[in-house]
Amino acid sequence: MKIKTVALTNFRNYRKQIVTLGQGLNFIIGSNGEGKTNFLEALYVLSLVKSYKAADRDLILNGNGPSRIVATLETSTKTIELAVAFSETGKAASFNRQAVDRLSDYIGIMNVVLFTPEDMTLVKGGPADRRYFIDVVLGQVDKDYLYDLTQFKHALKQRNELLKQMQDKKINDLVVLEVITEQMADYGSKVIIKRKAFIEQLSKNASEMYRYLTSKDDTMVVKYAPSITNDYRQELKAKIATDLSSGTTNYGPHRDDIEWVLAGQTAKFYASQGEQRLIVLSVCMALCNYYAEIKSDRPIFLLDDVFSELDAEKQNRLIQYLLKSESQAIITATSLIEIADIYKQQAKIYHVFKGSIREEQQHGQS
Amino acid sequence: MNYPQPLEDLINEFMKYPGIGRKTAERYALYTVNKFDIAAAHDFASTIIAAKEKIIQCPICGHLTETNPCSICADTNRNQTIILIVESPKDVFTIEKSGKYHGLYHVLNGNLSPLNGIGPEELNLKTLWSRVQNEIIKEVIIATSATQEGEATAMYIKRVLKDIDLVVSRIAYGVPVGANLEYTDDLTLNLAIENRHKF
Repeated sequence: MKIKTVALTNFRNYRKQIVTLGQGLNFIIGSNGEGKTNFLEALYVLSLVKSYKAADRDLILNGNGPSRIVATLETSTKTIELAVAFSETGKAASFNRQAVDRLSDYIGIMNVVLFTPEDMTLVKGGPADRRYFIDVVLGQVDKDYLYDLTQFKHALKQRNELLKQMQDKKINDLVVLEVITEQMADYGSKVIIKRKAFIEQLSKNASEMYRYLTSKDDTMVVKYAPSITNDYRQELKAKIATDLSSGTTNYGPHRDDIEWVLAGQTAKFYASQGEQRLIVLSVCMALCNYYAEIKSDRPIFLLDDVFSELDAEKQNRLIQYLLKSESQAIITATSLIEIADIYKQQAKIYHVFKGSIREEQQHGQS
Repeated sequence: MNYPQPLEDLINEFMKYPGIGRKTAERYALYTVNKFDIAAAHDFASTIIAAKEKIIQCPICGHLTETNPCSICADTNRNQTIILIVESPKDVFTIEKSGKYHGLYHVLNGNLSPLNGIGPEELNLKTLWSRVQNEIIKEVIIATSATQEGEATAMYIKRVLKDIDLVVSRIAYGVPVGANLEYTDDLTLNLAIENRHKF
């Protein structure tokens, strides 16, 4: 699916703006604070009816009435229109000018993969950041996973509360603990199996991407670092004394992590700033392939400030890949100084200045 | 400006009900003061007291009743060999309305939930354990909700009853009757397929 035109009304610092996008690469150029990221955010909101960085009420340009994002998109067979609106009282989405009753029916029509500088927490952040990442991706494509995970987390809360009460000697019924442990282990085991399969696939795709972007033989792999490697139910039974004495559940999917390994070493501690960024980017590209396979539709790339910290060669390789994969990509940057002319000629370039976007007229052969 | 104290007290009384927040409680209290005459107010108050005084929990099954034992436990025409276990008296009324079940009931008054401070002691289980000792009971059907708490409660009962010679069964999950398959949610559909029966 590809965006043809998008119209913003009262969204962030855009009062009224219509942009016609190219089917391939689209560069959004501007200085800091002019509205580049806001434009990307608008496309993200159009897809998921919520922002990745702000509450709904922050999306409205102050005091100018509701904000609206309307876009026409092209699939392989037809043209569709998507629209979302945010007001003081709530939000709404529509498909081909028909209001959608349930947002869950709307989300998933247009698929995007976003890269933002904040995604660096995938490498630099804590295990919780990485678990959240897996859960969001898997939850989007696998409803059963989302259900099992929710049930697991709920049972975990019950179990921890029970352990605390047992520690305080308020309850002393081991059967209740056994029952809740069994429940938690059943859901948890399903979560572990799916995470393992997903990470294996992600690792294969991402390491291929990493090799492509760096044109080096350095191998980057993604490793699942599960809290439990044996049968979860048995493990919990064996370690029940630890849980009872600490009053909490010490083992399970809630303590899982993933590890990025570059040339045999943990990327978090050994990789350079640029290398870490390339890892996250590789994962981003790999995700796009993953979604494309499952949903038989290539997602649209939204890449925010993707070039900083990358040398000229890597920047151009990334562009080369995006062109080759025939993805639609919207890329923000402060300048395109390192990008080869041959690539720039195949892209559309837009300049942002104080909440207004204008397309650069192409010079040269055309 | 604050409400006069008697009105404020009434609001606080209404807020004790489940699902009633401050706003709704205010509406109810204002309605009571504005629209009820003094006789209606007395009627309302004495109805509450009468219900509270006359309704007891059946000492056998835990259902709400005016008689001791309740009319279901006292009905010798019902199948005395089977007990259906539910969470609340409301479930008994619901199942009775459907008219198909003619066995006995047992009302737990809740589900196991450490988060809400509900353990086995807080549930109406002691009488259940003594009821199933009676050899006339051949089967118990556990009809707690398909939630984490409901499942935990069902598993707990099954575990405690494992050495007693009787059939323990669980109500099935499935597609609602009269509903189109395409409107059934994925999880229910998966369970319905998993729990399919020979046709």
